[in-house]
Amino acid sequence: MEPDTRPEAAADGAVVEFDAVTKSFGADAPALDEVSLTARAGEVVVLLGLSGSGKSTLLRHVDGLQAPTSGRVRVLGTDVGAASSRELRRLRRRVGFVFQQFHLVGPLTVLENACHGALGGLRAPRLGLPLYPRSVRRAALEQLDRVGLADRAFQRADTLSGGQQQRVAVARALLQRPEILLADEPVASLDPESAHQVMELIRAVAAEERLTVLCSLHQVDLALSWGDRVVGLRSGRVVMDAPTAGLGRDDAMAVYSRVGAPAPAPAA
Amino acid sequence: MATAPAPPAPAPPPGGAPAGGPGPRTLPRPRPASAAAALTGAALLAAAVWSLIDLRINVATLADSAGNAADFLSRMLPLDFPPLAELAPPLLETLAIVTAATVLSVVLSVPLAVWAAGNTAPGRPARAAARAAIVVARAVPDVVLAVLFFRILGFGALTGVLAMGLHSVGMVGKLYADAVEQIDEGPRTALRAAGASRLQELVGGVLPQVLPAFIATALHRFDVNLRISVILGFVGVAGIGQEISHALGRLDYQRGMALAVVVLALCVAVELVSVAARRALLPGTEQRAGGLARLAARVAPALRARRAGARDAAEAPEGAAAAGADPRAASAAALASGRLTPRWTAGRVRRALAVGAAAAAVAASVAAVAAEAGAGGSRAPLEALALFWPPEAGGIGGRLLEGLLLTVQIAFAATLLGALLALPVGVLAARNVAPNSGVAQACRMFIVVVRGVPELILAIVFVVMIGLGPVAGTLALSIGAVGLLGKLVADSVEEVDPGPERALRAVGASGPQVFLSATLPQALPAFIGHLMYQLDVNIRSATVLGIVGAGGIGYELLNAARVQEFGTVTLITLMVFAVVMAVEALAVRLRRAAA
Repeated sequence: MEPDTRPEAAADGAVVEFDAVTKSFGADAPALDEVSLTARAGEVVVLLGLSGSGKSTLLRHVDGLQAPTSGRVRVLGTDVGAASSRELRRLRRRVGFVFQQFHLVGPLTVLENACHGALGGLRAPRLGLPLYPRSVRRAALEQLDRVGLADRAFQRADTLSGGQQQRVAVARALLQRPEILLADEPVASLDPESAHQVMELIRAVAAEERLTVLCSLHQVDLALSWGDRVVGLRSGRVVMDAPTAGLGRDDAMAVYSRVGAPAPAPAA
Repeated sequence: MATAPAPPAPAPPPGGAPAGGPGPRTLPRPRPASAAAALTGAALLAAAVWSLIDLRINVATLADSAGNAADFLSRMLPLDFPPLAELAPPLLETLAIVTAATVLSVVLSVPLAVWAAGNTAPGRPARAAARAAIVVARAVPDVVLAVLFFRILGFGALTGVLAMGLHSVGMVGKLYADAVEQIDEGPRTALRAAGASRLQELVGGVLPQVLPAFIATALHRFDVNLRISVILGFVGVAGIGQEISHALGRLDYQRGMALAVVVLALCVAVELVSVAARRALLPGTEQRAGGLARLAARVAPALRARRAGARDAAEAPEGAAAAGADPRAASAAALASGRLTPRWTAGRVRRALAVGAAAAAVAASVAAVAAEAGAGGSRAPLEALALFWPPEAGGIGGRLLEGLLLTVQIAFAATLLGALLALPVGVLAARNVAPNSGVAQACRMFIVVVRGVPELILAIVFVVMIGLGPVAGTLALSIGAVGLLGKLVADSVEEVDPGPERALRAVGASGPQVFLSATLPQALPAFIGHLMYQLDVNIRSATVLGIVGAGGIGYELLNAARVQEFGTVTLITLMVFAVVMAVEALAVRLRRAAA
């Protein structure tokens, strides 16, 4: 791993730290239950777990889309739970987020959707391409080319296929020049061919930009080949947190077994 | 039958335990909730029938009035059209007032909707306040607002603008809030995750999603306000309505009916312009005449369906590109071209021109109204408001109650008659039920034409034929119901899930069998909702028509305003409000039982 130059990284290089984080929604069982977790700069952390195990909730805590009920989340030196809305905005500019459902604004052009990645650095609200500075539009077009869609710039976003929409969403995140990339099952809604294309794209840009990545996935093989570390969640609890080096497929699959202890033993 | 909310007969429970009696139960036990709803429906139907009888609306009355028709025609023909130079000023003034009022309602409704919508409200108290403001705006009739603003501003154009503009917030604000609540939250979350501020999130993530509904609602309200402005002419708001009121006051039917024809033409022209505007501003959205409360709701699914279709279409070129040219090369070429704004296609030029024209019309209207604003100004606003409080009966409490009863009777009778006319027409106008497309189109066309005729014009025609009184008002409202109720019924029949219809057709059911067993059960809750909505609309309209001669509480309202018993005006407003609220509460319960 290369030397860490980022100022906010703690001495041990941690850029994301969860310390006994619990998140409850009403009276239900907590979505996150005493989660502690660390991601170091440049590390690729893959989250595994069944649907509803708390992966999305965990990711949404990283850039303060949700606040912890108890415990502490520190990201890039910011205490997310205690941050003011201004501090949160500043943090979010440095954290890119790719969602399972792409979340593009359908009626707007592809280029304007990519430009949305720059909103955190712009002051006034805007609607319509001409209201974005030329430099932003230029940079957005470059990011669109990076995902291979610059020729679609002036098409309505909702006329693109799912895979194309997710690539636009990646371009939008890249325009932020993020230090951390969060991806919430980024290919779960795509057909196998598009899924492969989008996943390769995310892997490539994450490597080029040396991003710290937190990504939830369902593909265990992909998790093992790409991730530096695999974190398994079950019912909001961390049941596995291990480097991928030396981890077998069966060990990782244990996360998905509904019963049994957190021990990474093959299910009988 | 029309109002009785018989619940669809549910299938017998599969494998129900055989009871100790003669065999398994094949009919469901009546639910207390649906029994209560059926009882309520029956009571409403009985009230409507009683109203019809009590108002003496029957074949004999209608036959009598048919005799008057000839007499009426001789009095109104030949139509006496004023010269254009005389006609243009009141016409333009009406258009300016209506435009400015609609713009005012939109400007007020956008922030109110953001506050009132559950997903964008800044907090519970703000939400409650915004919703209360919208309900109050809807509850206070524009006529009452006009009376109030006359005291403050005098008889200027601004009075009409404020009265209509503020009252419109009741509808526009509600539909806007509904549209905001229906958005996809995803894009908003994505913008927030990118560091967007709250305002950036609303403008960049929410507004593009609701814009089609916002524009469609505004154009629809413009249409409604145009009709209302004619009625406000009868209480003193300048424009074409005042000219009609003066002509009829002089018993100059030739001039009055000529002006009514002009209003009719104006309504049709406005409808055409608004369809064109919708087409230019909302490329590709499906065109339908405005449909009040359902408008916002329909825009979203229509767009979604279109989007899905478009997405399928987009797959094709991608595949083709992969097979032929290199998509990466196309992207690189686009980047190299350095183009950062879309091309000026014909569609984009059209849209820009439409936006420009709309902006010019709004600016001209606001300027015209502002130029006239200095005209009145007789009292300080608070002083004028104080005149309206406390509400008092002014010693005619009994007469007011009688008037209210008459108005409610008119509304009930008109809703029943209207439903009898509108249900068959509306059902046959639905493409999935009509025996052939010719019938469906003819019925649709009939509905559109009826919708085009302002209720006021209908009322005037009936008043002249039958004489002043509740019968004329009832008939006018029942014809008007065909336009609104017929359209709502047709739309909700077309919106049912086609799956069950196909399944029944596949087992060999006839057209009427398919309608009764598959279509009707699905559309019934919507029918009941529409009927109650029509009753609600009719109570308000019956009040307003009272002002122009149908009698009832509206007549008392006009009298109270004339003799400056403003406390009585307030009391009447509250009475009508209470009735409307009671109907709304009933509607909610009925819908819940039928759903």
